[in-house]
Amino acid sequence: MVTKTEENQLNRLESQVDNGGSGAWEYLCLVRKLKLRRSDKVLKHGLSILNNPSKRSALGPEEWTLYEQVAVAAMDCQSLDVAKDCIKVLQKKFPDSKRVGRLEALLLEAKGSWELAEKAYSSLLEDNPLDQTIHKRRVAMAKAQGNIPGAIEWLNKYLEIFMADHDAWRELGEIYVSLQMYKQAAFCYEELILSQPTVPLYHLAYADVLYTLGGLENLQTAKKYYTSTIDLTGGKNTRALFGVCLCTSAIAQITKGKSKEEKEGAQVQSLAAKVLEKDYKQRAPDKLPQLTTALKSLTLSS
Amino acid sequence: MALGFAIGVFGVLILFHAAYSTIQYRGLLKLTEEEFSGPPFNVVIELSLGLVLCMWAALTVPGKFLSIHPDSEENRIVSLPANLDFMIFNHRGKVFPVEMDLKLKQ
Repeated sequence: MVTKTEENQLNRLESQVDNGGSGAWEYLCLVRKLKLRRSDKVLKHGLSILNNPSKRSALGPEEWTLYEQVAVAAMDCQSLDVAKDCIKVLQKKFPDSKRVGRLEALLLEAKGSWELAEKAYSSLLEDNPLDQTIHKRRVAMAKAQGNIPGAIEWLNKYLEIFMADHDAWRELGEIYVSLQMYKQAAFCYEELILSQPTVPLYHLAYADVLYTLGGLENLQTAKKYYTSTIDLTGGKNTRALFGVCLCTSAIAQITKGKSKEEKEGAQVQSLAAKVLEKDYKQRAPDKLPQLTTALKSLTLSS
Repeated sequence: MALGFAIGVFGVLILFHAAYSTIQYRGLLKLTEEEFSGPPFNVVIELSLGLVLCMWAALTVPGKFLSIHPDSEENRIVSLPANLDFMIFNHRGKVFPVEMDLKLKQ
């Protein structure tokens, strides 16, 4: 999870390093810690450190982690010869290493030779059958080849063994959403919310999936999760506020003609509408008339 | 920072002095065989002064307090980490050439 302070720090370091200042090593460490995918910048600044022998020896044993990071970034930017050189250096230093073997298989994947990569991964798995990263790379390979059902199958098998891996659950949820299998995606997001209940983004994604599924019960649960997102973010998440308004009007449309006990529903919606209007007035005042007409049509149609 | 530290040390010294005065007062009371009901009034003032100084130092010396609200401006989650374990390499970035001639020198 990237918090706002960390993002500010990252942007500051990035602008500093981009304009030719020092601090490239801190930037690279921060990118590695936050697990971000800034491959072009990592490649540029990592190579500037590695090509400078004094800076390289100043790193000490961290030099090899930098080689690994630069190798992966090079593969992402399609500079495969840079990646190959980095891997050669690592191989010379650590001849029989599983980590370097993984990097080599990753290089084969980046080159596009899927069968060779598959063979390399299976041989690595024979030596250590419980290596999480290799299982995940197999899933990624299936996804890269376009074989999404195969990726789902591998990922399900992986999650049967490693049920606590929330990154994998997130990946599975996103794949299901891309295939419009919303019930399964809802299950994945439920697992995510169970393991990390304080991340509001998961609540929001779950509520979105439930709202897409539709039906009275799903809409009511979606409204609950939109409100929990509002609770967790202190009322600042615009998408959750809109979600509450839409859910209430959709529920009211379905229950039109049935008994009207939904008095607190209208209260939540009017509160959300007020917060939205205040927010728009502050941040985008020229869009305020469109917002008020949209909200009025929502409440009128209910 | 140094001032807060100095005030903290001063507050601790005042507390020690108050403790020493109380022990001396008790010794004096033992000589006159009276009951020890509590420390004398000026020791109590000294104690409260030492308390205020130490508390002020304890709050200022450690530095800036961090917010604990999960939705405060510094702590709010901006983005989830990109799933690097599932990263794939055949994306559209393949057709963009790298703008400079990057090489790893040996």
